[in-house]
Amino acid sequence: MKIDFKLNGKPTSIDVDPAMPLLWVVRDELKLTATKFGCGMAMCGACTLHIDGEAVRSCSVPVETIAGKNILTLEGLSESEANLHPIQQAWMEEQVPQCGYCQSGFMMAAAKLIKENPNPTDDDIKNGITNICRCGTHPRIIKAIKRAAEINNQNH
Amino acid sequence: MSTEKKSFSRRKFLQRGAIVLGGSVVASYLGCSPMRRFTAQKVESMDLPASISSLKPDFWFEILADNTILLKSPKIEMGQGVWTGLAMMAAEELEVSLDKIKVEHANTGSGLIDNVNTGGSSSTSSLYEPVREVAATMREMLKAAAAKQWNVAISTIKTENGILSSGGKKATYGEIAASTKEWDEPKTPTLKPKSAFKIIGKEVKRVDLKPKVMGTAKYTLDSELPDMLYAVLVKSPYLDATIKSVDSKEAAKFSGVVKIVREGNLLAVVAKSFYAADSASKKVIVEWNTPNKTQQADLIKLVTVGNGKEANIQKKGSAKSIIEDNKTEVFRQEYRTPMATHAQMEVNGAIAHVEANKVLIITGSQGPSQVRDLVSKAIDIKKDKIDVYTPLLGGGFGRKAAPGLAAEAAIISKLVGKPIKVYNSRQHEFQNGVYRPNTHHVLQAKMTKDGTIEAITHDQATPDMYVRNMVGEIGLKLLGSDFLSAGHGASLMYNVPNKSVSVWNTDVPIPISIWRAVGMFPNTFAIESFINELAHKVGKDAIDFRLDMLTDKEDKIIERSRKVLETLIEKSGWKTPKAEGVGRGIAIGNDRKSIAAAAIEVEIIEGKIKVKKVTNVLDMGQIINPEGIKAQIEGCVMMGISATLYEELTVKDGQIEQAYFSQYPLATLADVPEILSFLLEGDDVPYGVGEPPLSPIAPAIVGAVLDLTGKALRSLPLRLS
Repeated sequence: MKIDFKLNGKPTSIDVDPAMPLLWVVRDELKLTATKFGCGMAMCGACTLHIDGEAVRSCSVPVETIAGKNILTLEGLSESEANLHPIQQAWMEEQVPQCGYCQSGFMMAAAKLIKENPNPTDDDIKNGITNICRCGTHPRIIKAIKRAAEINNQNH
Repeated sequence: MSTEKKSFSRRKFLQRGAIVLGGSVVASYLGCSPMRRFTAQKVESMDLPASISSLKPDFWFEILADNTILLKSPKIEMGQGVWTGLAMMAAEELEVSLDKIKVEHANTGSGLIDNVNTGGSSSTSSLYEPVREVAATMREMLKAAAAKQWNVAISTIKTENGILSSGGKKATYGEIAASTKEWDEPKTPTLKPKSAFKIIGKEVKRVDLKPKVMGTAKYTLDSELPDMLYAVLVKSPYLDATIKSVDSKEAAKFSGVVKIVREGNLLAVVAKSFYAADSASKKVIVEWNTPNKTQQADLIKLVTVGNGKEANIQKKGSAKSIIEDNKTEVFRQEYRTPMATHAQMEVNGAIAHVEANKVLIITGSQGPSQVRDLVSKAIDIKKDKIDVYTPLLGGGFGRKAAPGLAAEAAIISKLVGKPIKVYNSRQHEFQNGVYRPNTHHVLQAKMTKDGTIEAITHDQATPDMYVRNMVGEIGLKLLGSDFLSAGHGASLMYNVPNKSVSVWNTDVPIPISIWRAVGMFPNTFAIESFINELAHKVGKDAIDFRLDMLTDKEDKIIERSRKVLETLIEKSGWKTPKAEGVGRGIAIGNDRKSIAAAAIEVEIIEGKIKVKKVTNVLDMGQIINPEGIKAQIEGCVMMGISATLYEELTVKDGQIEQAYFSQYPLATLADVPEILSFLLEGDDVPYGVGEPPLSPIAPAIVGAVLDLTGKALRSLPLRLS
């Protein structure tokens, strides 16, 4: 089945099994590998990306449901390396990643969170993001999200 | 240890428009007497197997034309920051800024591989001198070459940020490297004193930070080869299952499926996409033989003190007979830790391309040379035909020190004749993995009238975690037990007149492995929980009780431990009044010369234990990367909370019962406490950082619950009722 959508702002067309999860379309067909496979059951959040501005776990989204929609992956989050999204800027400042594998999912979830809530408290963050990290970068994730919100507010 | 005494006896410098310092340089002094090192380390420090291998760590540097330096790391980056630590050490002696150093993993085919797994928190400490020494040698060679070209004395040459200069003359390292045909061998250079460090011990950004933030960092699952096919393995959820019969007719019809292959109990669907292989694999009908019928109760019974073979690993005075003769007065408690899994975020995976006379493997492993050996056996090809490349690891924690899927990928690639990428589902990771084994501990103490310990014993029951892999069945018999990994941390550090420690080794019908902090995790939980209970029982402050038993001023470890605890009292506000509803607990561990202690505050909210604040003091000797150390401490705190409050694997009818994250909850953002970390430099060489801060977390939480409720919890994960 041929499906048209926008990926990181670019019109994109693919012809695959309509039941194929979006995660595999993005990773294996379109070769954007920032979005990770962690569990395949929407339990860990490693595959989080945005569909029409909503943070979604792409391992459990059949590609047929995204026709005509805007998909944003980590590769498209910042305008350029010189002009990083506040989330990525804060992730650099706080040195969040250890192994790094879960981080793109966290960053995509976090980008959505600060868009909706420009001044999140610790509890807002703790309750708002349920992704899994095994290295234990959680304390830095909380710091970085608050820092990103600050940067965001300064920019506006 | 004097650096002058060592000499590079087998120098071999190649010149191909670049300087390559071969691994032989380092190997010449590290590997001179491997057997002596093996024995000495085993006996003296009871180190982990990772650091007692008789084989040599190797690495190399290259100066590239753009005046950057390539460091091919012999140690594997799995998030612990080893690339950054090694790069900092190299940059320090090379007189370049950190951004001039590029790091990648050495591939096994380069001949410069590390035969020791990355683990045991030993990478930075074991390479502290070698890396700096090779870097300093390289700097001196460049100076000598520049001096010759410019016809000036070496002593006039300055090195700064990758530039050599003398008077008005100036050239980059890259320029000198490119224009030098013959190199002079310098004397072994004297290493910089600590007071001259410009990079070591300073704040830096980790070298792999940007790619990990931009999403460009490549892991095994992100790697590809041209013309590659995907394979998904069909596995039984039962341990040790073998194939009785296979019906793959329906699966073969799925669009994109290329072949369904079987060799012995290896069954795989090969397809043009992972999606096709995965979907079709669910249509394969397999009848399995399931000989393993293990129940949880069997496992508990097997792993019980008194069962299996006893090896006494520590003895002072006559603890056993004092305990035996004073049975009615003896305080005796039992502790248990459960089976657990690593749950690293990146599942195991591998890419293999098997050709007639060569094999290429790409896989994230903590031991690339072991991957090579496994592949060699699996498809019967000589080791030197195999080249193993290691992308970044999406977490290790010991799981990737055990076999992954490289052998399977190679077998399938050989059968299909194409490059194959294969990886586990999360269910495979949970149910077809290797596990931290359950443990049982019996601690007994006879107290004096004034509330000090007269005699103490610790008996630990555990299967071997790793040592069998190192020394084989016969070696294990000779050792008596796996006191090197499972029994690691079983000994008692306190100065008491009578103490005795035994490890009871038993086999279990479950595949087991090391897990972050190895034996330190269960042993520290049991010992330090018991110490907290003793202090509570005699009505003494838990830290003062310990300080009274850390009295041997001749023992540097003891002295450093005292300092750690004294710092902890001050930094955690240990002696200040507690808020209502708050309990405080502490624990300390001495893990291969690193000393870590934590003071933890807990509350009980809606019947659940909530960790509010963790104050860590870590003395890891020389600080290399302070921010990296703090990140490791935070990671240990989170993994410690997770393992203490939530994690448990159980077995039923020969099947691991937990198959998904929903059945094996981990700590999340909601569990983050206030974390304070303080670093002490009690020595001028670096010790381990990645594991030591983990083991005090569980007993400190237990101590805090005891303080708050008067109730001693003795089994992980903690349950209040």
